[in-house]
This record gives sequence, structure tokens and C-alpha cells, in this order.
Amino acid sequence: MGEEQKIRVLMAIPGFDGHWRGAATVTAALRDAGMEVVFVGQQQPDAIAEAAIEEDVNVVGLSLYAAGHLRLVNKVINALAERGGKDKLVIVGGTIPQPDIPKLKALGVGEVFPAGSPVEEIVDYVKKCNR
Amino acid sequence: MKMFDEKKIEELKKKEFEWMDRTKNDPGAEKVLLGGSGIPLKRIYTPSDIADMDYERDINFPGVAPYTRGIYPTMYRGKLWTIRQFSGFNTPEETNKRFKYEYESGQTGFSIAFDSVTESGIDSDDPRAKDDVGAGGVHVDYLGDMEAMFADLPIDRVTTSVTISPWPAIPITATYFNMAKDRGIPLSELDGTTQNDFLLFTCCCHLIDQVPPHNLIRFCVDLVEWCAQNVPKWHPVSFASYNYRENGITAYQELGFLFANEIAYIEEELKRDRLKIDDFAPVFSYHLSSHNDFFEEIAKFRAARRMQYKLMKERYGAKNPKAYLLRFHVQTAGSTLVYHQPLNNAVRVAYQALAAAIGGVQSMHATSYDEPVCLPTDQSVLLSIRTQQILQNDMNIPAVADPLGGSYYVEWLTNEIEERAWEYLQKIEDRGGLVNCVESGWVHREFFRAMNDHLREIKSGEKKIVGENCFRMDYEPYEIPIFHPNPEDTLDIQIKKIERLRKERDNKKVERLLDELKVVTERYENVVPTVMKTIKAGATIGEVCDVWRDVYGIWKIPLPV
Repeated sequence: MGEEQKIRVLMAIPGFDGHWRGAATVTAALRDAGMEVVFVGQQQPDAIAEAAIEEDVNVVGLSLYAAGHLRLVNKVINALAERGGKDKLVIVGGTIPQPDIPKLKALGVGEVFPAGSPVEEIVDYVKKCNR
Repeated sequence: MKMFDEKKIEELKKKEFEWMDRTKNDPGAEKVLLGGSGIPLKRIYTPSDIADMDYERDINFPGVAPYTRGIYPTMYRGKLWTIRQFSGFNTPEETNKRFKYEYESGQTGFSIAFDSVTESGIDSDDPRAKDDVGAGGVHVDYLGDMEAMFADLPIDRVTTSVTISPWPAIPITATYFNMAKDRGIPLSELDGTTQNDFLLFTCCCHLIDQVPPHNLIRFCVDLVEWCAQNVPKWHPVSFASYNYRENGITAYQELGFLFANEIAYIEEELKRDRLKIDDFAPVFSYHLSSHNDFFEEIAKFRAARRMQYKLMKERYGAKNPKAYLLRFHVQTAGSTLVYHQPLNNAVRVAYQALAAAIGGVQSMHATSYDEPVCLPTDQSVLLSIRTQQILQNDMNIPAVADPLGGSYYVEWLTNEIEERAWEYLQKIEDRGGLVNCVESGWVHREFFRAMNDHLREIKSGEKKIVGENCFRMDYEPYEIPIFHPNPEDTLDIQIKKIERLRKERDNKKVERLLDELKVVTERYENVVPTVMKTIKAGATIGEVCDVWRDVYGIWKIPLPV
């Protein structure tokens, strides 16, 4: 990706989960780092995938705090694939137990940032993947 | 009674100045240190910092205005705080098993954690809900679910917090009340709490398909109004400043929002001209956070009690002493817990619980050490219960009320928190009060700023968090058990129950009652009596909430992101 082209990110909270602090602060941090972030809040997996295609983003950020991460992330990834969005980088944050991190990666998640991860690590990772 | 002699204070001030000057080059003397809420702290506090205090006016005895030292004359000697862990997952039947385990472990109260679908007033057979039913909390669709959750549990002796969002709060509380009646417990005797907090579910925890704030406050107050007259021992609201604090705001902002929210309820009720302040304020209850700055939190609890007294007495002219009492539950702050080295969290929780115990709490949830990682396991819940039991039994906390009362530092800090909280409350009032501030997005912007400030402080190292920005390890030193609630079956089980319910109930009657509810809602009459009947007839929570969505429409949250 060229220097002049901004990295585009979709930030979403799959399902009904009401926690917004994680998704909101990561959105702010990615914007501070010069990225375009579309924040869509709570959405169903299909709607997230559609928004990701519509907005033509490079990255899909998913925030999950209510123990539904394996199920919901899988649905988002499948919904993306169905719409030709397999190439989009998916990153996940929230209350994610360590043993579930490899399982999420096996589903196709690029990286997992459990609650409390330094935001600069997220920024660096997204930049590295979009170089 | 003035506590200090003015002349002696003047002498002391001089001596303090000399001492400060003499020791100004000692190590650390030049450091500017801030408390957890950014309040600048001196090296030492002396009588000169609280020179104007009047013992009886400002602190007095426990159980005596302004209640700074506690709301009851004998405090824990008369009644220990209730051990009340917040829990729930999957089906009501599975949550019942967890409740029994907690009860057998010596827990003395229950608090129901609902899934976000129930919180949104949506049934399990709504296609949008399929991934979330039973996730992160228990799902409840109808009266039978509440009965299953409390099967074989003595709800006449153990109180429950029905920890639910404001408008589903009415049908959900109606399931609990109907269950109590069916068990032969008169509503006049039933004790417990419904959370029913306006600010929490508009600005802290976002719900799908919620009615607009100025309509929501009506439902909040309908429940308060009806319970105050019909279920007098029930607390139909628990102002949950715990949850506001979780957005990263300060201790004094927490209190500013707490009282702004309480004022919103009071104003809504008073404008109806049906009840007087003394008729309904006594049923209010409160749910505060216990955060990281130990002394600041203790000062906050003391300041909150004094503010409640002043608000009720001076602003609203309440005469019923029960209206003066800030009876509060504490939850130790989940947002202070760290993902890495999770056992460290047990230590954080223990200190935060100690602050609440010293602060004169009535009921407590000690957060489980594994909460940043997963839903709590049986073991971590047991440790939370034991943490509280150790405070109550081994450590001799209950003997003496308000043990830090009279500490120059804590008294000064209590005054400081109070003053700043009043100022912050004024800011909200200047913007037309809390309901307007929620609707305009001002509260979301305040929270968003606080969240980002917190991140900046962590990044810069201004605030240190062990395991997060200092003393990190490149491997995980503790292995902890992980709870996998696997709510997958919950959806099928709940949908089957709803199908059966729809076959067995008198559908015509339910429809008629739902129509009646619509009329009552539009006439601005209290909706609770109709909801009680509708739930009894077998209506689901979602069916009741849909009536209100039809009448009021859906709110678009003014997100600042």
C-alpha cells in the first residue's frame, strides 16, 4: 500500500454485547495513527461483513466481551468469505481466554489483543500488515 | 462543635510551613503526586487542613445526620454487609445450580447477571438473538424462567438483586414478584432490589433497540412509584455509579453522575404530582465502585453519604429519615483488573473490598480475579466469597464503625471529593439535567474523553499498573482454570420453552392484555399493574417491550466515536 493511501478499518461489536470502551478507544488510537476508521458499534455478523465490503476496508476489528467470541468471530469470517472479503485482515480484542487465541487464529484471525493490550501494539500490528 | 482552636491552628500553620521549608530538599519532597482522580496531594495532612470542621455538623455519629460515619448506629455489629456475587449464564436452570453453589458457600444474597438479549427486552426466538442467548449472562423469556432460576432457593430469607436494565426491568421484576406471590410471600414483605438504572443502560452498556431517554426515564420511575406504594421493602432502583466509573471517570465524577441520576428520577416523579419525596425516596438504593486509590475510595463513600443527606434535606426538604440514608452495594472495579498474571487480581480485589468494608458498605460483590479472562469459574467465585468472609471474620473489621474517621487526610479528602462532586453535578444541571445530557451525547463525550485519558496515562507511565505497564513478563506465570459456559444449547432450550408457552397459555388473553398495556402506556398511567397481569398470563419479556417500542420508537445512540 502506498504511503499516501490511508489504511481503512471497520470497527464493530458483533451481536448484542454492550461493552463499547474497548472498541471506542482502539478506534481513537487507530485514527490518531492516521487511519480511516468506520465505527459501526453493535451489529450482526452479516451486517459487519456487508459494511466491510461496502466501506472497502483493509482491516476488520472485532471487540467481544461476552464469551461469544469463537462463535461470532467464525460467523463474521464466513460472512466475509461469502462476499469475497477473504483478504481482509481480521483482528480481535476483548475478554479472550489464552487457550482460545490459537483457536481464533485457526479460524483466520490475524491477531488477538486481549483487554488491556497496549494500543500501540495494535497500531503497529495493523501498520505492519498493511505495508 | 468546632474541632480545633483557631489560635492553635494559626500556630500550627506556621510550624507546618517551617517544616515544609526545612525539609524541602529531602528525597521526594519536590514530587508532585496526584490521587487516583487527579487531586494534588500534600506530603502530610494536619488539623490545619480540616480547621473549619465541626464534628456534629460534618461527621457526627453513625446513624445520625449527616451520616458521614455510617447509616446505622451499630453498623456491622448489627448487620454484616450482604455477600452478593453477580452471576448468571446460559439457561435459568444452569444459573440455579450456580446460585445453589454460592448459597452453600455462605453467600447471603443473590444478584442476577442477565445476557444482553434479555437486557435489551428481546426474546430468544428473535433471529438476531441466536448468537447471544445465554452468553455472558442468563436468559429469561417469561415467568417460568424466573421460577426455574430460583427453584429451591429461599427468596423469603435471602434477598436478590434483579440486575436489569430499566424498561425490561418492569416485566422481569414482574416475574420475580409473581413468583413470590405464587410461593405465598406477600409483596408487602418481599425484600430485594431491581437495578433499573437510567444512566447505565443509555451510556455505559449499550442496548439494541432501546426507547429514547426521555421515554426511558418514565419507565424507570413507573417501577419506583409502584413499588414505593406496593412493595415497600423492595428497592426498585439501584443507582449504579459503579458502571459509570467503569468508563474511566474520576471518583468525584462518579458521585456527580450518581446524584444527577437520582435527581432525574426525583424530578420525573415530582412533576407527576402523585407522590411526595418522603413517599418514594426511602426506597432508593445505590451501587458504587471500589476502585484503586484506597483512601480516596473510602473518602468517596463517606462523602456520598453526606451528600445524600444534604440533597434530601436541604434541596428536597425530605422529613422521613429513611430518605437521608445512602444504603449502598459495592462492586470492586472490574476495569482495574489485568489480563496478564491474573492471580494478581485477587490481591487488588481484596484491597478494594477492604476499602468498601472500611467505607461502611451494606452489600458487596468482590470481583473474581479471572474476570478479564473469562466468566468466573466456581473456584474464583468461591475465592470472592471467601475474600469477604475473611474481612468479616478474621480481620476484626466489623467491631468499630468508620475507623478512619478523624484521620486528617481522610477527612480532608472526604471534603475535597464532596466539593468536586457538587461542582461536577452543577455542570450537568447547567446543561439541563441528566436526561438532556444523555440525549445530547454530552455524557458519551465525557466518558469517551475519560477512556482516552486513562489510556494516555497508562502509555505515559503516569499511572502504573502492575502486569500492564510495569513488571510485565514475557510468559504467563500462573496457570488458571478457564470457564467455558458453552451457551450453544441455551438457544434451543429457550426456544422450545417459548413454543410450549405459546401453546399452553391463553393467547387471546395475552393479546388483550398487551393491547391494554399499549393504552395505559399512551395515557401515561403507571404501567406496572398491567405488566404484572400480562406476565402472569404468560406474556414474554419481548412481547411487553415490543409494545413500548411501538409506542416510542427506537433511540439512536449519540456515539462520539
